[in-house]
Amino acid sequence: MSRAKDIPDPPPPGGAVERRERDLQSVNTKLRDLIASLEGQRQQYQRRHSEGTGPEPVPVAPEPEDLEKRRLAAELALAREALDQHSRDEERLRERLQEIEREHRRICDEYVVVEERNTDLASLFVALSRLHGTLERAEVMAAIQEIVTNIVGSEELAVYELSPGSSKLELACALGVDGSRRHIRLGEGVIGRVAAEGEPFVAWDRACAEEPALTACIPLKVGGRVTGALAIYHLLGHKAVLGNLDRQIFDLLGAHAGTALYLTALHQRHGFGAG
Amino acid sequence: MNRKKILLVDDSSTVLLMERMILSKSPYDLVTARDGWEGVEKAKAERPDLILMDVVMPRMDGFEACRRLRADDETREIPVIMVTTRGELQSVESGYESGCSDYVTKPINGLELLSKVRNYLGE
Repeated sequence: MSRAKDIPDPPPPGGAVERRERDLQSVNTKLRDLIASLEGQRQQYQRRHSEGTGPEPVPVAPEPEDLEKRRLAAELALAREALDQHSRDEERLRERLQEIEREHRRICDEYVVVEERNTDLASLFVALSRLHGTLERAEVMAAIQEIVTNIVGSEELAVYELSPGSSKLELACALGVDGSRRHIRLGEGVIGRVAAEGEPFVAWDRACAEEPALTACIPLKVGGRVTGALAIYHLLGHKAVLGNLDRQIFDLLGAHAGTALYLTALHQRHGFGAG
Repeated sequence: MNRKKILLVDDSSTVLLMERMILSKSPYDLVTARDGWEGVEKAKAERPDLILMDVVMPRMDGFEACRRLRADDETREIPVIMVTTRGELQSVESGYESGCSDYVTKPINGLELLSKVRNYLGE
């Protein structure tokens, strides 16, 4: 085991300490003599240099105050450089932040557009699902009413149907209007003309002079043949104008509401609805 | 993670389907009721985190359903958003008097609905 480590060094033998002190004092004396000799030589050199007879003087070490000034100046220069670097970094970061904010706004705008498109597609899907989700005539009529109320935004509407070979539209259902206009001849008024020509009427930016209450009239078609018309009157109070989705809903209603009603008639005619 | 539960109360299949479509993008559990009376019962049984309530419904309208929810200790804290075709001030005031937390108008704007739902669910 390392027992030797646990035992302290033995003291030097008697008289050894005194001897070592004497040696050190001797070295110290020699060093002092050497310094004095060098100082003498330095002064001698300087004297000769000032007299122009000697070599270049030994450079004198700067005073402590000069050293401190130089150190502070160097620190100041470093600090200025660091400050400049920080300013450049800050400017770069500021530009990057502005770039990120612009990108953020662009993504937010895109998100809004995508969400609006999603809602539009959801609305179209819901409308189609409701129209073709049943073969019961009353439910299809209810679906048309709900689509107009909840997706277009009007609680005033009338559905007219045209029997094959007939020249008169007949009121099939009405919501929010008096329903006194039970029959309309083909070509008579806006609704009659829509049914006769197969072209929708929409009061996009101004009311129709002939029928001011009418917002839109959509021909209901089956395979290109007009089978009726959907008249939509005043919009809900908080809905100011029709939008792009409304145009798509009108197209969808024109193509599918007539077909859905036609299918309910077929279904009844063939007795499937008897239960 | 705990999924938030939303009770949709409306007598219109179109509106319920529409709300489902809009809310299905987030992981919510959706429960439906077809009138105010059923809505109150479902609220007590299901303890939803939020209720979307139509106003005009058979048996019990949305205002009355909201008043009953507020009168019941079990349901008084559940936020209720009225979904209404009536955007007029008077109708909105009636909604707030009945105790509803907020309202959205029909036709439903998907972004507006999602924004309010997330706000009330603390998301």
